[in-house]
Amino acid sequence: MEETLIRNNYSEKEKNDIFNGEFLPHINSMYNFGFRLTLDRDDAKDLVQDTYLKAYRFIESFQKGTNAKAWLFRILKNSFINDYRKKTKEPSKVDYQEVETYYNSEDVNRQITPDLRVESLKDMIGDEISNALNSLDVDFRTVIILCDLEGFKYEEMAKILDIPIGTVRSRLHRARNLLKEKLSEYAKSMGYKNTEL
Amino acid sequence: MTPPHNPFIQADGKKPTCMEMLQVIIDGEASSEQQEYFKNHMNRCLPCFKSYDLDMAIKRLLKTKCCGGDAPTDLVDQIKMQISQNSPG
Ligand SMILES: [Zn+2]
Repeated sequence: MEETLIRNNYSEKEKNDIFNGEFLPHINSMYNFGFRLTLDRDDAKDLVQDTYLKAYRFIESFQKGTNAKAWLFRILKNSFINDYRKKTKEPSKVDYQEVETYYNSEDVNRQITPDLRVESLKDMIGDEISNALNSLDVDFRTVIILCDLEGFKYEEMAKILDIPIGTVRSRLHRARNLLKEKLSEYAKSMGYKNTEL
Repeated sequence: MTPPHNPFIQADGKKPTCMEMLQVIIDGEASSEQQEYFKNHMNRCLPCFKSYDLDMAIKRLLKTKCCGGDAPTDLVDQIKMQISQNSPG
């Protein structure tokens, strides 16, 4: 994952083996990531296609047998930021200073959404959770996707996103709280009352 | 009786808050020793127990509801075609 200068001299056969055996098996995860970032199926398709073409072009900087999924996710994330986001001019709205301050404040043990209950989640059988996720700012959405949908570790996420592990942790913390706020709004609109207050 | 060693304590000796321990668990970063410790802690700490339950339920819901949607069937073919067009020979 590091920007190493190692170049592997793969034969054509080796390249194809890596591409088919290590890259293509992640196509569904990649497409889902692309879709969750762009929120558009056609854009997701373009983004994934573009990512795989880049992956093939730079295949000699990939070390056979290492973490192909993280490597591919990083390329997709960079393509999204450099190509797609610029094109659509979607600004990043996350105030990172605020995130850090929030996490380090005394409030961390306070339960943000006491009115969200496990029982109310059971009724979210439609698109509620998906809509809640999609409504988050893209940087918050991304860490939830990487951690909860794809099971990446902090260290892998830090490399995919080019941010320190501490930032991964605090961004995840904030993202989870925002998601819970959203879900409790849904829960309320579905008729659940906070009976504890 | 000495209290059990807390495997969440960092090198600097700072005692972690419940929320900090919970995040390590929810984020899937806990060692088996930490998981064991937290399971015991959770049985004595209602806020942790409730938060854990809720957070894990959300995690499961995310996984079942937001992961589907396979890539379009023609996507792999399109990618392979582009590569064969672009590569020499
Ligand atoms: Zn606790």
